[in-house]
Amino acid sequence: MHPSRNRRPGELVFNLILVGASLFLLYSAYGISGFEALSSPGAVPMLTTAVMVLAAGRILWEVLRKPVATDQSFIRDILPMPIVVTIAMVALYALALSRLGFIPTSVLFLIVMVRYLSRRGWGFCIGVAVGTVALIYLVFRLIFSVLMPQGIVPEGEILAWFSRLF
Amino acid sequence: MFKSVFGAAIALGLAATPALAEFPEKDIQGIIQWGAGGSTDTVARSVTPHAEEALGGKVILQNVTGGVGAIGLNQVERADADGYTVLFGAENPLLYKVMQLGQKDYSDFVPVNILARGVPILVARPDAPFDTFPEMIEYIKANPKTVKFGSTGPGGLPSVVSAMIQQKTPIEVTFVPYDGDGPALTALQGGAVDVMPAVLGAAIESIKGGKMKPIAIFDTEAAPQLPEVKTIVETNPEFADFLPWGPFFGVFVKKGTPDDVVAKLSEAYKTGAANEDFTKLIDGRGYKMLSLSGDDAQKFLTDWQSKTSWLVWDAGIAKKSPEEFGIPKP
Amino acid sequence: MDILSNLLMPVTDLKLLGLIAVGTFAGIYVGAIPGLSVTMAVSILISFTFSWDVYPALALMIGIYMGGVYGGSRTAILLNIPGAPSAIATAMDGFPLAQQGRAGEAIGIVTVVSFIGGFIGILALALFAPSLSDFAIRFQPRDFMLLAIMGILLVGSLSGESLIKGVFSGALGIGIGAVGMDPLTVQDRFVFGFDELRGGVSFIAVMIGMFGVAEALSQLHSVNTPAVKQRITRIIPAWSMVRKHLPLGMQTSTIGTVVGALPGTGGDIAALMAYDYAKRTTRNPETPFGKGAVEGLVAPETANNAAVGGAFIPMMTLGIPGDAVTAIMIGALFIHGLNPGPMLMVEQPHMFWFIVGSLMLANCFMLIFGLTGIKLFVKIVELPRTVLIPVILILSIVGAYAVNNNVTDVYWMLGFGVFGYFMKEYGYPLGPVILGVILSRLLDDNWRRAIISEQESLGGLMRGIVTSPLSLCLFLAVLLIILSNTPVWRYVRRNKAA
Repeated sequence: MHPSRNRRPGELVFNLILVGASLFLLYSAYGISGFEALSSPGAVPMLTTAVMVLAAGRILWEVLRKPVATDQSFIRDILPMPIVVTIAMVALYALALSRLGFIPTSVLFLIVMVRYLSRRGWGFCIGVAVGTVALIYLVFRLIFSVLMPQGIVPEGEILAWFSRLF
Repeated sequence: MFKSVFGAAIALGLAATPALAEFPEKDIQGIIQWGAGGSTDTVARSVTPHAEEALGGKVILQNVTGGVGAIGLNQVERADADGYTVLFGAENPLLYKVMQLGQKDYSDFVPVNILARGVPILVARPDAPFDTFPEMIEYIKANPKTVKFGSTGPGGLPSVVSAMIQQKTPIEVTFVPYDGDGPALTALQGGAVDVMPAVLGAAIESIKGGKMKPIAIFDTEAAPQLPEVKTIVETNPEFADFLPWGPFFGVFVKKGTPDDVVAKLSEAYKTGAANEDFTKLIDGRGYKMLSLSGDDAQKFLTDWQSKTSWLVWDAGIAKKSPEEFGIPKP
Repeated sequence: MDILSNLLMPVTDLKLLGLIAVGTFAGIYVGAIPGLSVTMAVSILISFTFSWDVYPALALMIGIYMGGVYGGSRTAILLNIPGAPSAIATAMDGFPLAQQGRAGEAIGIVTVVSFIGGFIGILALALFAPSLSDFAIRFQPRDFMLLAIMGILLVGSLSGESLIKGVFSGALGIGIGAVGMDPLTVQDRFVFGFDELRGGVSFIAVMIGMFGVAEALSQLHSVNTPAVKQRITRIIPAWSMVRKHLPLGMQTSTIGTVVGALPGTGGDIAALMAYDYAKRTTRNPETPFGKGAVEGLVAPETANNAAVGGAFIPMMTLGIPGDAVTAIMIGALFIHGLNPGPMLMVEQPHMFWFIVGSLMLANCFMLIFGLTGIKLFVKIVELPRTVLIPVILILSIVGAYAVNNNVTDVYWMLGFGVFGYFMKEYGYPLGPVILGVILSRLLDDNWRRAIISEQESLGGLMRGIVTSPLSLCLFLAVLLIILSNTPVWRYVRRNKAA
């Protein structure tokens, strides 16, 4: 993996966030039932969050002692554009899923992602997207009966219509 | 907007074909409140194929678990009241309000069919130093706090049965919590707990196999599956106040679902529940067939809620008084 | 003779034979796709096979189960995305092999050792079921607690370069496992007023996020470098190789069988424990662990397949499920008019032998299907990443959604995916997070049960541990593992070797 001798860009901030979050979780775990009993529902959460605080603190101390890596930048090495775009696309997907429905959202997502990453022709991108979604639909919806959000394409009615034909 | 225009266009196109007529026009989504392999799951999955036949449509069953069933219940409550989302639930939601587990309960639903009721039974590990309920009480009084009762968290069947016992014959025992009657009964066979209030169906085979000892059936009449086991009222008639009582399974749709849709579903599940295979399964698992719908089902729910809510409130397990939610005293 | 005819029933009946073959084949794919789980497939099969006879229904389910447990290793090796929790450990040494162009070889080894593990599990079921279930059922809450502590100590093996980061990850995982309403007291934990959190964070969503999405994101760094060309020289491993690892495989299969037979623990914990065991006992692996050690494939894959036979042990003898899949199968038996319980073996012994026979057959089909078509499968790795990564992402999303039909799980998956990506970048191991989530309930619930049973007295708990031989053994094992991680131990061992 990556060499860890030097402090990577953003590492300090990330660890500071972890320490902060661990402290908050410890406080929250204390709030579950305090020091009421050994068997209280808060006992194990308090122990684990305390371990988190100690470990995160120790890691932070190590990070602080490491020299800053000068040959790396946050934008280039940790969060380059393709990664930002991908995260944003998955987030958009999750938001659109219940409104647009599974089929259109997935096709759009795949077209955009494949086009963005591979820069291949539209025909290729659309082909990959439609093919993949068709396969997933076949496996998940038709074989495993997982009902994906329906959205704007009334596939339930279409399916029922088809099955009535036979 | 887009959605409705697009949907309408396609629906119009489909409506032109003669095959399309009445409910159900598409697959129905059936949400099971409890996990795969549990009793609610087994009952739902075994009645539905028979109901499908009567309904002329498919019901796709899914387990949506968590939050003592509240996650699944809320999901059905959020869906449209069109009968295409059906809930397969147990008794728990009727206690959500007093236990502060959720704001919704079956008053937000219409019962399609209350399928069956379970019978509680008190079982002990085979080498426990008592055989009957009075002997057990005596032993516990002589050895306070040492007898371990299996429980499944506040609001579950064991806690309600324990509440009954506490009200009539106060005892000091240690409650060891499990996350379901299956794991608790396993622990009973391994000796980790001594006594466990459970539903008859979950214990029946182990009793026959000699892995557990029946102490008393918590019902007014003996169970045909275990005719030799005494009921609690035979030794302690004061328990008759609470009985008959038991967990149940039912099929529900959201309130506001068109009457003809509810009627169609009720009809289908009534037919499904009458199927011989299903009645045999219900019998074999030690449940009592109910198959209630319409006003009968509503009355059953109201009675159950009032009786049980006040029982758990008086026992100090509930967080809020049933009075706050307008639940009348039995 | 009666036993033999029931044992051979699946072989002699062409329909059953076909169903087991189809089931095993489908199971491999179900297992390989993250988000399609065996549990899900088997519960769907209950409705699907409702009107069938009980034998064909069980045959199909058993096929899926056997194939699915094995299938999880496929994507773990090829893409570093375990198809099922029980394949997490397999990815640690399998993926490095794929990166060296040896994916075909890795799959070949995994297939053969899975067969061996499966075989030992089934053998244990056939020969020792009653005594093993008697043993398994005696586990008290304190024993499960000790077992969970033993599991937590695996963090040491899963941490890679920084132990302290592994400790943090493990603790985080236990914390994630505690989110939601505590089923024992119905008290909210880490819910912060969100209703969606009440039901807890789906463990599969965390796994898909941390392994699927985070992995896809980090592979974006090298999206334009061409994929590693796979050399397919040999698929069926040499006999000498199998023989060399057979002793380890036998030991880890035993671990798998026992952990599988315990109610409440399954193939996932078994595989991780076996991996840890291999790492501790293998003195000089040809390749270091984490870089493509064969031992790191043998251990988890024998264990998780042995756990299948193990899980049937309490099911067939007592009607108690050994894991989630057998829990559903018990439901299926009920629906088909049988009454699983202690009387099943007495009243219907043919059922037992039929299941043993079907498992055997499914195990053989797994070997056959596993070894064929590897060349085609391995081509997945050679697909351009620009296409592969979006497809992995969409599969991850669908998988996370399908667990509970809930969009919230997709958000969780994304959140843990992004968080997991940063953890990877800054050198935090992700394995311990999943380990923590898997063990969280086992540890928490049983600690509380154990201490409640002793009326909140730590002294009482210790007395209980010391006076029970089983608890004492587990306790000593825990002590030994802790001790073996301290400098004192290494010093002693070095002196001995010198």
